[in-house]
Amino acid sequence: MKQTTVGGTKRKVMNALAMAGLVIIFIAYMFPFIMVVINSLKQKRDIIKSPFSWLFTIKGLSFDNFVKAFTQMDFINAFKNSLLVTVSATVLVTLFAAMLAYYIVRHNNGISKLTFALMVASMIIPFQAIMIPLVSIYGGTLNILNHRLTLIFMHTGFSMAMSVFMFHGFIKGNVPMALEEAAYIDGCTHSQTFFKIVLPLLKPIISTMVILNSLAFWNDFLLPSLVLTDKKLLTLPLSTYSFYGTYSADYGTIMAGLLLCVVPILILYVVLQKQIIGGVVAGAVK
Amino acid sequence: MRSKNNGKDFCMFALPGMFCFFAVVIIPFVYGVYLTLTDWNGVSKVKNFIGLKNFGGVMQDGQFWTSLLLTFKYVIFVVLIVNVLAFGIAYLLTRGIKGQNFFRAGFFTPNLIGGIVLGYIWQFVFSRVFVNIGESTGWKLFEVSWLSDPTNAFIALVVVSVWQLSGYMILIYVAGFMGLSEDVMEAASIDGASGFVKLKNIIMPLMMSSITICLFLTLSRAFMVYDVNLSLTAGAPYGTTEMAAMHVYEKAFTSRQFGVGQAEALILFIIVAVISGLQVYLTKKQEVEA
Amino acid sequence: MRKKLVTKAVPPVLAAVLLTTMLTGCRFGFASDPDDPNEEEKEVPIDTSVDTFEYDSSLSGTNITLLNSKAEIQVALEKMGAEYEKKSGVHVEVMPVTDGDSPYTKVVSLYNSGTPPTASILDTTDVIALAEEKAADLTEEPWVEEAEGYITEVNGKVYSFPLCIEGRGIIYNKAVIEEMLGESFDADSVTTQADFLKLLDRLVDAGMEKPVSMAKEDWSLGAHQLQYIYETYEGTSEGAQEVIEKIKAGKLDLASYDRLSEFLDTFDILKKYNVAKGDPLGADYDEMAIDLADGKTAFWFNGNWAWPNISEAGAEEEDEYGFLPYFLNDDEDDFVNQQIQASPSKQVMLDGQIATEKEQKAAKEFLNWIVFSEIGQQMLVKTCNIIPPFQNNPYEPSDPLSADIYQKVHEGKAFNASAIVPNDHWAVLGAAMQKYLVDRSDREELTESIQEYWDEQE
Repeated sequence: MKQTTVGGTKRKVMNALAMAGLVIIFIAYMFPFIMVVINSLKQKRDIIKSPFSWLFTIKGLSFDNFVKAFTQMDFINAFKNSLLVTVSATVLVTLFAAMLAYYIVRHNNGISKLTFALMVASMIIPFQAIMIPLVSIYGGTLNILNHRLTLIFMHTGFSMAMSVFMFHGFIKGNVPMALEEAAYIDGCTHSQTFFKIVLPLLKPIISTMVILNSLAFWNDFLLPSLVLTDKKLLTLPLSTYSFYGTYSADYGTIMAGLLLCVVPILILYVVLQKQIIGGVVAGAVK
Repeated sequence: MRSKNNGKDFCMFALPGMFCFFAVVIIPFVYGVYLTLTDWNGVSKVKNFIGLKNFGGVMQDGQFWTSLLLTFKYVIFVVLIVNVLAFGIAYLLTRGIKGQNFFRAGFFTPNLIGGIVLGYIWQFVFSRVFVNIGESTGWKLFEVSWLSDPTNAFIALVVVSVWQLSGYMILIYVAGFMGLSEDVMEAASIDGASGFVKLKNIIMPLMMSSITICLFLTLSRAFMVYDVNLSLTAGAPYGTTEMAAMHVYEKAFTSRQFGVGQAEALILFIIVAVISGLQVYLTKKQEVEA
Repeated sequence: MRKKLVTKAVPPVLAAVLLTTMLTGCRFGFASDPDDPNEEEKEVPIDTSVDTFEYDSSLSGTNITLLNSKAEIQVALEKMGAEYEKKSGVHVEVMPVTDGDSPYTKVVSLYNSGTPPTASILDTTDVIALAEEKAADLTEEPWVEEAEGYITEVNGKVYSFPLCIEGRGIIYNKAVIEEMLGESFDADSVTTQADFLKLLDRLVDAGMEKPVSMAKEDWSLGAHQLQYIYETYEGTSEGAQEVIEKIKAGKLDLASYDRLSEFLDTFDILKKYNVAKGDPLGADYDEMAIDLADGKTAFWFNGNWAWPNISEAGAEEEDEYGFLPYFLNDDEDDFVNQQIQASPSKQVMLDGQIATEKEQKAAKEFLNWIVFSEIGQQMLVKTCNIIPPFQNNPYEPSDPLSADIYQKVHEGKAFNASAIVPNDHWAVLGAAMQKYLVDRSDREELTESIQEYWDEQE
């Protein structure tokens, strides 16, 4: 369906200009990413001496860095760990946040209000302020660090606030009470109503939160570095440690390692793209 | 009917989420606040209660207030630029131009690259790539690494943050724009409203809820900037781009004045909470139902 | 219609491309470039035939962890651990310090989580901060004697094992100098600041515009360079502490302190001939190494730890590199102009608080093995490329920089003075030095910042 254009030539020119501007800005945005891709194929010396060139490198292009990164990162193992942690935490936080947001919207009592306020406020707390107390409590007192389960639990806890915030807006605006009332009249219990009626309606916002949360968990470095110390348990971001020397770094391998880490998420994003736009539409805007 | 099952509802729906949140966020935070009242240095077995002495230390730490001021400056720039830019780009991306989805995806990609690596890449861009451009084209602006000069390094920091944050905000604004009813737009055009008037009186008020969210997110993230700060400039040149969060970390761990560092983190939190709270309150009042 | 098809096709095509990129990571191995300096270094063969070390079999099966803050030797340490395990049955897990963390922070958070490493490789200052409360007492260990002169004591007790000696000075590329000047170069012929200056001028005249590489990093300027003013007070660690105490107490007038002004004189000389003079803070560490190896510059102030970078930049072990002393004045007899500073830089501390008896014993035995087993001795020097602080270790490091330091230590041409400064010395005063480096501050301001810094310390 073509859009009806009003204004003729002037409109066309404006459109063309806007398009041009957009393309320029777009290239500026993608620029660093492109640099990473180009340089992941080069050796360190070339990266330093001629970061731009693609063809005129002394050592030539190769996938060496990728091979090196792959083996040094123990990629398959780290990938497994990242996958386990990310999927588990995402499932948990999505489920719990949806339920909690649902409760807050439907039962607007003192506890709900307090919890919601605390959650919104907590999104501002700098991680550094909780870092050491967190480690003291869970490590020193409870001694449950160095387990992936603990990491999953912590990821869930930390992402609750943002997720509840988003779900809350969506439920308030997009899930009519009438639907639920009808379900109760038909004899459904509260949980049946939630899982069979409400949850399916939440699909757009769920997709959004899934992508945003998985992204955060997948790329997270600080929290896993505090929790996991055993080499066999390391997630992908942690496994790139060996590329950073004390004084300088192995840039080619770092870039290759970065691409290897980012590609899975990129794939997920590309596949879920449509859902995201839809989800953010209704959820955030309330 | 609802109140009768309140208890059961609570246990089933609210408890799991609340438990995770309180256990992982609230309790350590409270413990952290307690720690600011002790002389604990992060390692020793002994913790003595010393009241507000650490806060006295905060007052004496001139560098903290300097970095706080710098952070304020930084926040103003970033919040303004990100929101204007994101708003504008989102507007362009919702007018039915060819390849819209492709662009939207592209603008989101910066978000895929996480904190520390992001800084490294940009540092690489600024100190090597730009300089390379400068050397081969003789373009004065790029000859000297931006990161060598305090003002330019600050600008570099702003640029990178804008780059990273706007992708996220573009997404939210796009959603907001898509939620605007076409009918209202057309009605306004028919009534003879010009582009600018339309923008001011119709679009802005309707977009207020998106603006609230984006302002809140940019505000809090800009105040807490750490990852990018560390990996892009690490406070260089000679400590002139050290933002508040980075300073707090240095204080606690590098200078080993843990108690003071923790107290500074708390103060930072309070300041940001107050400002964000104010912002949300003010913008929420402007929101208009569609 | 077509547009719809395109937009539909793009995501899956993109996904496919990305997927293949990921897979190529594991399948495609293009033939490696034989000249590639990133290529795995040739394995130095370790002679395992002789080993007079007595292994305590009761320790077999114990697991100990070693926190490593020296990234360059991570792989080497793992090899050592594996070798040790073969012989003793004790498993050594070598933990690297992840990027973005300081080793001290890592150890602190590990103590907080109740799982500190059995052994940690840390800087001397970190060990001193943690020693009395956390570290195991090592005063009675058998290797203490062998490391005489390189032992660090805290209140009369020994809490750490000196892992390596590291030296620093003005690295010079002999081949390049000889090429530029067209004559052979004898490092011993340069004995004063004036000689050095003359040499620089001759190089400039011969066509080398800026013969000096200068690192801009705050740890280089604030620690490796600036700390000379404490170390050269008397050339001993005690002397360094003495002068620091004096500065703290305000009893030393920095403005008239001779070592400070001499140091700044030499620093100024380096500044003047700095290849990155146009933008000193834009100097890239790796580029400095490349410049030196390529022959664009002839000198780089650094330490023997820089060898991996220089070798990556293309240098071979047979190339001739060495250290010139950091000349401070024109007095030929001043020890500063004759000797290189070399001290134990990294110390191994054992956990005495949480680790079990058995674990502590196993860790202590590992340390003994490094000193007394022929295999341990070899691996320390040859695999880790470390200069050992132990008199009984007969092996010599092979890279030109470490070999130079090793020689000088054994010929008495090195002085051992290490200044114990607070943990943020390099950060705070490094920043001040950077300002001076780019001429945004003058000597007065710099001197003031140094005095201010010490005034703030207790």
